Amino acid sequence: MSSSGASNALLPASRPGSIPDRRGAAAIELSGVTRVFGMSPALVRVTLTVDRGETLLVRGPNGAGKSTLLRVMGTALSPTYGGGSVLGFDLSRERDEIRRRTELLGHRTRLYEDLSARENLRFACVLYGIDQDGIGAVLERVGLLDVAGERVRAFSQGMRQRVAVARALMREPELLLLDEPYAGLDADAKEVVDEAITAARADGRTVVLATHDPTRGAIADRTVHMEQGRMLPGEPARRSGRDQVTAG
Amino acid sequence: MVAAERLMGKVTARRGERLLGWSALTALAVSAVFSLVIAPPDAEQGEVQRLMYVHVPAAWLAYLAFGVVFASSIAYLVTKKTRWDRLAVASAEVGVLFTALTIALGALWGKPVWGTWWTWDPRLTTTAILLLIYVGYLAVRRLPDSPARRARWGAVVGIVGFLDVPIVHLSVLWWRSLHQLPTVARLGKPTIAPIMLAALLVAVAAFTLVYLYLVAFRLRVGRLEERVVAEALSPRLGEPVDRLMQDVDLPVEAPAGG
Amino acid sequence: MKLFREVVAVAAKDVRIEARSRYALGAVLPFAATVLIAFGLSIGPGRTLLQETAPGLLWLAVLFASILSFRRSYEAEGEDGALEGLLLAPVDKAAVFLGKAAAVAGQLLVLEVVVVLLVSALFGLSLGSEPAVLAGAFVLGTIGLAGVGSLFGVLTESARAREAVFPLLVLPLATPVLVAAVRATALATGSPGGGGGSWLGLLLAFDVVFLSTGTLVYGYLLED
Repeated sequence: MSSSGASNALLPASRPGSIPDRRGAAAIELSGVTRVFGMSPALVRVTLTVDRGETLLVRGPNGAGKSTLLRVMGTALSPTYGGGSVLGFDLSRERDEIRRRTELLGHRTRLYEDLSARENLRFACVLYGIDQDGIGAVLERVGLLDVAGERVRAFSQGMRQRVAVARALMREPELLLLDEPYAGLDADAKEVVDEAITAARADGRTVVLATHDPTRGAIADRTVHMEQGRMLPGEPARRSGRDQVTAG
Repeated sequence: MVAAERLMGKVTARRGERLLGWSALTALAVSAVFSLVIAPPDAEQGEVQRLMYVHVPAAWLAYLAFGVVFASSIAYLVTKKTRWDRLAVASAEVGVLFTALTIALGALWGKPVWGTWWTWDPRLTTTAILLLIYVGYLAVRRLPDSPARRARWGAVVGIVGFLDVPIVHLSVLWWRSLHQLPTVARLGKPTIAPIMLAALLVAVAAFTLVYLYLVAFRLRVGRLEERVVAEALSPRLGEPVDRLMQDVDLPVEAPAGG
Repeated sequence: MKLFREVVAVAAKDVRIEARSRYALGAVLPFAATVLIAFGLSIGPGRTLLQETAPGLLWLAVLFASILSFRRSYEAEGEDGALEGLLLAPVDKAAVFLGKAAAVAGQLLVLEVVVVLLVSALFGLSLGSEPAVLAGAFVLGTIGLAGVGSLFGVLTESARAREAVFPLLVLPLATPVLVAAVRATALATGSPGGGGGSWLGLLLAFDVVFLSTGTLVYGYLLED
């Protein structure tokens, strides 16, 4: 039995960690990715390459398809048409390997309402196979140490988001997908998110950040714009100098 | 599996489908002559026993159809090819139809013979539960928006539902044996006249052809449904229709005009 | 072992959530009691008839109540998208299935103790004659129910499934559990009927089929 999801017992099993990293490949390569919900397209023929160690900023109005794009990158959604690879692993066939190396911080904080912040993080530690010793430190970093024992149900949206940020901080994923991570956060907590991005960059890890907060994202190497599910013809990439974004 | 896919391609091509339709119709006519004219009336039940020639084949088809759902559900999960999912749903719909027919014919037969429309006979009861399970299968398929997820949810129900059938039957069989009624035991007659058996076999063959025709027809409808979706999406995505049709290497004819 | 640790973590998480929200105590148990009273009113007040039908009524009440428990078990996953977190975690999806099944089975067993006591009080069901068979019927029957419910509970993520499709799917699939558990209970409580340990064997077969198949296919239900 394989460890999860897309590959399953009926397919050849993949042992946890048995596949070595594919360092040579680009961090993300999407080719003609389209995602349709019912009859309405949320993502239209997106072709995009993100280099290893790059920090990419995705801008666009609400409903532009930013979330869908990040969720496809994080294997929470599968492309209806098209495909690609993340960290060198195929988006539809090697999801487990992608998941092991990727953190998706999305709109929904994925917390259990009747568990405390600390209990939520403990459960996440078991799921991700990481040490629980760091929980206190990350809770302190997001300023939740005082209320760590209280149920998430009583938390405001900003506090929930901080728990989710804390959970992301506990991992050191090769690819960090941040979908509106600043939503509902105060200045201090926003700073924590920025610190996490900076730390990831310093380690040579890849970050994709989607936000419409105009005060954020200066840290990015490159910005792409989306509208109505399409990538707009991009401004020249600042870092690599070549235009890797083609419009659909 | 590749051979099976090729066979499916032949059967569901327009010509194969027409051929199937005509052979099914002919076989039904032959079967009608056999069951109504050639086979003698039953010594005890009289003319009404002729219902056997439709009731038994319908029941056989119900199980065949759900067996096909089971096999193609597994094939879908292994290969992720949409055609297996189309086959599963086609077979399930035809299967539900024949299951309902089996029950209705059983009731028609039961009334004069047992004096009641319904009896808690193990086979009858199992068939009723079978019908409910696959009505559930069709209901589950209507839930998700995403075609891939619809296919996967359907496949899981198609597999689990079929594995459940023998257990359901065994439980109902043992449960029934507690209150055995003498009339029920007569259903499984030890001997059957050769001419009656021949008529029954012809009827089974004819019904199987009807099943194949209906499935081929439903497969074509399935492909057309996908084409309708692809044609609606095509201008919005700026992709040609053919590229939006997933996993269709069979020629798909336009809906009208031909 | 990693799988076992994950199963325990998922089950412990579900039990803790249940202990906090007290849904079983506050909603499922009263529901089961209401069903029993309704049965009594629709069949009674003749004592003999009530006694004879008691095993069936007992398991019908359990079956209907279990539907609520399964839904609740996945409601907690759906409130804030936690189920997606389980999908995206590098964890064996079989562990999620088995863990959730274990937790809901535990809750159902507690519920059943109360229901059995209620039935024995309301319908005059005597419990004494074969406690081992009775316990076996409840443990095996509950595991089977929990297997079906935890597998297809994923479907309740869709709002339409919560209303009708989920029970429409689960109730027919669970027919063998209903039949076998009712018979075994009738045998164990000394009502007329019964058929020996073979009913327990049937329950066991159901459990094995659903737990093993569920373990294999659960991941497919979770994926987008």
